Amino acid sequence: MMMSDAPEPSKHVTLVSSDGFEFILLREAVMISPAIKGMLDPKSQFAESRTGRCVFEEINGIVLEKIAEYCQYWYKYKDSSNVPDMDIPVELCLELLQAADFLGLDRKISFQSHR
Amino acid sequence: MERRFRKPEADLALSPPTPSIAQHGSRESRTHTLRIMSNNHLNQDQPGRSIRGPQSALTDFLASQNISAARIRADAEARRATATANAASNTPATERSEQVEEQEDESDGVVSGRSAAAAARRARDQKRKKQQEAIAKIKKSKAYKKRKRTDSESDDDLALALFNETMTPLPGQMGNCEICGKRFTVTPYSRSGPEGGLVCNPCGRKLAKDEDANKKQKKKKGPAPKGVVGRRKIQSRILDGTYDVGAKPLVTLCIETLAKNIHLADDIGGLPSPVIDRIARLLSKTRLLDSHTLDLFLQPHHDDLKVYDAAKLKSDDFIKIFQLVPQLKRLKLRNAIQFGDRVMQYLTTRNMSLESIYLHGANLLTEDMWAEFLTRKGSYLKGLQVYYTDKHVSDKTIDTISNVCPNLTRLKICHNQEVSDEGIKCIAKIDTLEHTFSIKNVPDVDDRLLDAIHENCANLSKLRITDSEFMTDIGFTRLFRGWKNKPLSFVDLQKCRHVDAAKPRENEHMVGLCSQGFEALMEHSGTGLRYLNIHACRHIPGETFEKVFASDRTYPQLRYLEISFCEYVNDFIVGSIFRSCPNMKEVNVFGCMKVKDVRVPRGKILVGVPNAVGMRIEGVDDASN
Repeated sequence: MMMSDAPEPSKHVTLVSSDGFEFILLREAVMISPAIKGMLDPKSQFAESRTGRCVFEEINGIVLEKIAEYCQYWYKYKDSSNVPDMDIPVELCLELLQAADFLGLDRKISFQSHR
Repeated sequence: MERRFRKPEADLALSPPTPSIAQHGSRESRTHTLRIMSNNHLNQDQPGRSIRGPQSALTDFLASQNISAARIRADAEARRATATANAASNTPATERSEQVEEQEDESDGVVSGRSAAAAARRARDQKRKKQQEAIAKIKKSKAYKKRKRTDSESDDDLALALFNETMTPLPGQMGNCEICGKRFTVTPYSRSGPEGGLVCNPCGRKLAKDEDANKKQKKKKGPAPKGVVGRRKIQSRILDGTYDVGAKPLVTLCIETLAKNIHLADDIGGLPSPVIDRIARLLSKTRLLDSHTLDLFLQPHHDDLKVYDAAKLKSDDFIKIFQLVPQLKRLKLRNAIQFGDRVMQYLTTRNMSLESIYLHGANLLTEDMWAEFLTRKGSYLKGLQVYYTDKHVSDKTIDTISNVCPNLTRLKICHNQEVSDEGIKCIAKIDTLEHTFSIKNVPDVDDRLLDAIHENCANLSKLRITDSEFMTDIGFTRLFRGWKNKPLSFVDLQKCRHVDAAKPRENEHMVGLCSQGFEALMEHSGTGLRYLNIHACRHIPGETFEKVFASDRTYPQLRYLEISFCEYVNDFIVGSIFRSCPNMKEVNVFGCMKVKDVRVPRGKILVGVPNAVGMRIEGVDDASN
């Protein structure tokens, strides 16, 4: 379970959508997004870095669910060279594209660089 | 005579020594014989013997030999009834086939009507008995026991199946199709139907088609899930330079999905321009950009438009671009075939000031129109790139450019037949140009050009001289030694080499880029060089490579190196290259036959090694010295 008030950074973080859905993810998995990484950086003194809760007022639950799915997908395949494409629902495509752009999910980031 | 005539059948059939008797009364017994015979699947139904028509020559002949045609016909009919019953009994659905059989018997009964039916019925009883015996025998057989172990069918089913297998007619015999019931000649290629019997040719073809369809469906569903790519695809990505480890970025996935479904999109206006650009590239790759999808990219507030494949756009579409995007500053159109005079006229007469134009394939634009456009709008131009326009960009046009474009910093003219030395002289007059010197495929230019570059160019970052057969090593050395130009970042000197089919290895005049020139080049530009192509500069000796990529020399910027067909390159040199160039991404060594087994550091790619493993070796070693 999440321990958002613990001083030690938990292994999990929570992403909250604009309509109140919460997604609990591995901290390492969300590090794919430079934006979220910056929010959670202990040095940044953002509220998010203390609570481990990131609230996205611009992203609704459906889109954030896909983002969460992508984070897990990226984490799962971070070291494999033959990766199946994740399925993107066509109707979500534009919203998801905007959200992905906002979160900076447009570059290849090797896993090692987050260590 | 008759005896001899019937001999083969007697040999085959009459294991219980029943003589084939000519009396009428023995007919039923003979039918029985035939039935037995068919149960032992020895039924050699010879088509030549079912003769009809009393007028045939054979009938006459037989009559003359005291053989009656009527009897032969009766025999044949009885045999046919047997065969029908036989074929029908091959299908497990006995009841139905019996009906069919009965019907056929009746329709057959022109000559031997009732008696044949009765014979058939009796034969059936006999046959069933025989079948049961045979099944009992099969149950004892080895094959049965073997099958029983593997199959889960019930005892009787299995035995029946084995029985039916042995019952199917042999090639050359007649059989009834299991599906349509028609009679046909069995061939080695006859297929077996869904219930074990044979089927005729047309039905077989249909079956084959269905099976193929099934197979295809299975293949589609196959084990490879969507998106996973095969070895070939991975190799292809490596050669394309798009290979990477890990999942694709989410933005890429979205853009790919979007490009696939672009016909559903109404508006992509809210997206940032790099994303829009990537969508445009993907659309062009699959040639989906037409007048309809172009609208998505025309945002009134944009000042930048790149259309990577405008082949499907009409003149009106190009004019629409200028109408809808009035603030346009930078325009890039590839394959803009219909970008003709009318479009240029429109552009010239509007209050627009394009800063850069990239036109590819616009060969309908005339020279006069170019002149008019340049005269009116040339003063705003900073960049002009014209590719593949055949004839109409001429020396005169270039002269105009040099006169009316005071701000031009970038000029590219490729694949234009009309531009000659005169034009190049005019280019020399444009002193605002920066960066690049590029001449492709110039077999005749000699060292004087190199000297001129050495004297006059101080601001180049890109140098490309390819296919020169007259420039010498001394010329290259003079160019690079003490050159006041900053280090180049891009050098392409491919195929600057001596070519002589008779004495390929002798190069007494040191034609092309050789030892001294290469050393001087690396000395001058090594610190800034990112891309180096010395493809087929084959007179550079191994010692020079060793010296240039010695352990105390590093080339921190070098990412891409093309040394294919430099014949003295060996394993040691490639290893030294990886040591000296920490940021190297890719080395091409096609045709370097001395490169055999080289250790490639992790994350680097070596392409073109002549081994059986494949085209590339992607780095596996973590240690890169």
